[in-house]
Amino acid sequence: MIVKILKKLASLIVILLILSFLVFGLMYLAPGDPAERKLSEQGIAINKETLEAERAKMGLDRPFLVRYGEWLSGIIRGDFGASYKDDMPVGPKLAAGLKNTFILAFSSLLLALIVAFPLSVISAFRKNGVIDYIVRLLSFIGNSLPNFLISILLMYFLCIKLNLFPVIAKGNVQGLLLPVFSLSIPMSGRFIRQMRAEILDQLKEDYVTGMQGRGVKQRYIVMNVLRNSIGHIFTIIALQIGGLMGGSVVIETIFRWPGIGKLVMDSITARDYPVILGFVIVIGVIYVVINQLSDILNHILDPRTSL
Amino acid sequence: MRKKKRARIKIIIVAALALLLLLCAVFAGVLAPHDPSAPNAAVIRIAPCAEYPLGTDNLGRCVLSRVLYGGRTTIAATFLLVFISFAVGTLIGILCGYYGGIVDKLLMRVADVLLAFPQMVIAIAVAGILNGGMTGAMISMGVTMWVSFARLARSHTFALKNEAYIQAAVFAGKSDLYILLFHIFPNLLAPVLTQALTQIGTTMIGLSGLSFLGLGVIPPTPEWGAMIAEARAYIQIAPWTIMGPAAAVIITIILFNYLGDAVMDYREV
Amino acid sequence: MQDRILEIKDLQIAYDEELAVKGANLFVERGEVLCIVGESGSGKSTVIRAITGNKQIKIPGGQILFEGKDLIPLKNRERQKLLGTRIGLIQQNPAGAFNPIRKIDKQFRETLKSHRLPFLKEELDKMFTSIGLKNTTDILKSRPYEMSGGMNQRIAIAAAMLMDPELLLCDEITSALDVTTAISVTDELLRVKNEHRTTIILVTHNLGIAANIADRIAIMSKGEVIEFDKADRILHDPQKEYTKNLLRDVPKLSS
Repeated sequence: MIVKILKKLASLIVILLILSFLVFGLMYLAPGDPAERKLSEQGIAINKETLEAERAKMGLDRPFLVRYGEWLSGIIRGDFGASYKDDMPVGPKLAAGLKNTFILAFSSLLLALIVAFPLSVISAFRKNGVIDYIVRLLSFIGNSLPNFLISILLMYFLCIKLNLFPVIAKGNVQGLLLPVFSLSIPMSGRFIRQMRAEILDQLKEDYVTGMQGRGVKQRYIVMNVLRNSIGHIFTIIALQIGGLMGGSVVIETIFRWPGIGKLVMDSITARDYPVILGFVIVIGVIYVVINQLSDILNHILDPRTSL
Repeated sequence: MRKKKRARIKIIIVAALALLLLLCAVFAGVLAPHDPSAPNAAVIRIAPCAEYPLGTDNLGRCVLSRVLYGGRTTIAATFLLVFISFAVGTLIGILCGYYGGIVDKLLMRVADVLLAFPQMVIAIAVAGILNGGMTGAMISMGVTMWVSFARLARSHTFALKNEAYIQAAVFAGKSDLYILLFHIFPNLLAPVLTQALTQIGTTMIGLSGLSFLGLGVIPPTPEWGAMIAEARAYIQIAPWTIMGPAAAVIITIILFNYLGDAVMDYREV
Repeated sequence: MQDRILEIKDLQIAYDEELAVKGANLFVERGEVLCIVGESGSGKSTVIRAITGNKQIKIPGGQILFEGKDLIPLKNRERQKLLGTRIGLIQQNPAGAFNPIRKIDKQFRETLKSHRLPFLKEELDKMFTSIGLKNTTDILKSRPYEMSGGMNQRIAIAAAMLMDPELLLCDEITSALDVTTAISVTDELLRVKNEHRTTIILVTHNLGIAANIADRIAIMSKGEVIEFDKADRILHDPQKEYTKNLLRDVPKLSS
């Protein structure tokens, strides 16, 4: 098993290397000259000398592969380079944003699970009942709503019409509520759809018929079904974290939540490439690691699944 | 059988509604009461009335006309993107599944890499770097979208390749092209098209999300996500400027998601 | 005096609004073996599902009388008490009767606890031995996916017999087996029947198996019981063309 985990780890590193190369290549090909942009922002006259000096200072004059290699070795050492905008190191910027994003994402995930897990269990075990229909309808609608739209509608109805919340989030719990709702509503919808389907699949398994035939009490059957679904449910959660990361960029921008998503949007506006690259790498690593962990967990919970 | 029939009727009704919606977008030029891009200082931010059924926005433009023309942008971009991803993905999938070998291994490895990252995060980064309007937004999502089609087409091709009738066609000396076109492609069309249908909703959410962030369509071109982003600034004084495009987004996505679900159900019954 | 342990009257069963069984009349007397024979889709397994109260089917009409009491209106809780202890089931894929990733030990305990019965290892050991399973301790510590299909099958049969039900329902249990194994399984059933005076309802598509063990045979086709009588009569004097055809396909077995 340890060998398998190590093998997985190796393929993970390959995946990350390929992605870093692709993203770096994209940035290299991107339109516009960062040096020119920086100079014009600092109000320095742009001529051949100043431009070349700035390019040399930013390391833009060297060949692509050298730049990629330097950037990569920096990242391995935890150095994400300097921001084009203010020459500050990118790493601490990302770390600060990540902390806030984590608070937001974790709360949303928790809320979505608290809502979705019990509802999907009830819905699956009472398939085609009244509750099932209501839950399915709500989860379908939730799944169909873009989170930018939810956040704006929530803002309008809760903040402006009902005056329950401040429009702009301050770093406190009250400020956290609306962004969390905006992220967790569509996520709950997706969770319910997927978890319900997973439990229904389990209910079709032969052992459920067997247990019913032996007259095993319903609560033991529920327990067995949940025990067998839990591995897949972890996979569902791990995969949804990807959507959560994308969604938090939108939500952080709307609510001005100082997370990594807002940071990246600000950096896109400023064409601050090192920050964008760092963002992709950091999110990529987190997502890949979470998914690998869920695979390992899945294997421990159900040894029949391959690693 | 009765269940199948009911599922079919459901599909027909929802498909008719979806078609109606598409026609509204196609005939936006005929249906729109005003020029969607012409500012009119005389009618800034007026509430819905007979002349402007959904009101006007900050520049005095008719919201209804903008919603109709915006639908054109959003829906056309979504369909084009889904279609290109479908075409490219299916082609890659069929070729990989049928021939296998090193190219197959390589492409599936790339697919693994692309699937290993959250789609929207890649899209935001790529669209942000490209800074290329709606085309850039479409490319940024297309980068990952073809993968699901390729995988599906590949696994179906793989299974079909060993079917007796295809083996028979091989022995009968039919060319690879003939087999791929007339035996394999028709047999995997249904599942891959269903996949395409279910992708419409998510693609629309993604594209309008990018536009909302300013990474998609370039104003003043009407687009639902961008309209909502713009109107957000004056939501307190003119909420109707948001409600129009918001309703359009919600109705369209729900309709296409429902259609996707209905077709999936139909294929399962 | 007849003692009908189970009697089915005008039973209709529907899947998704479509009738899979269109009014069946059957009974079995205490201590007998009833074989329900039919092709797939004839509705024979559906009858078993109706008796065990499967949730996926609807019963628009008819009665299922177990010792004179109708099972159809039973509440889940009442049915759960009856199943296992008084009506046993060996399902279509008996090897899958237990949760594949949980220890057998725990699953037996859950079954017994559901009926407020004690978990007595000696009794289990006796049952396992009688069915050809050695090393009860090892088996109890294992998970079904770690064991062979044959072993799982035996464990499932042991589980069905453990609580000594009066009526044992067997749903196509021989369909996945080769002929010799199938015969050894049916022999096992016969032994159980004789030892415990258990009544058995066996559903099969194989009239040959039925000829071997049945006291009574019901022939089902397209949701209807087309012929139902003592086994001797059906086997030697079939009335319906369909039954005659089925009989023609049976290889001559030594009786």
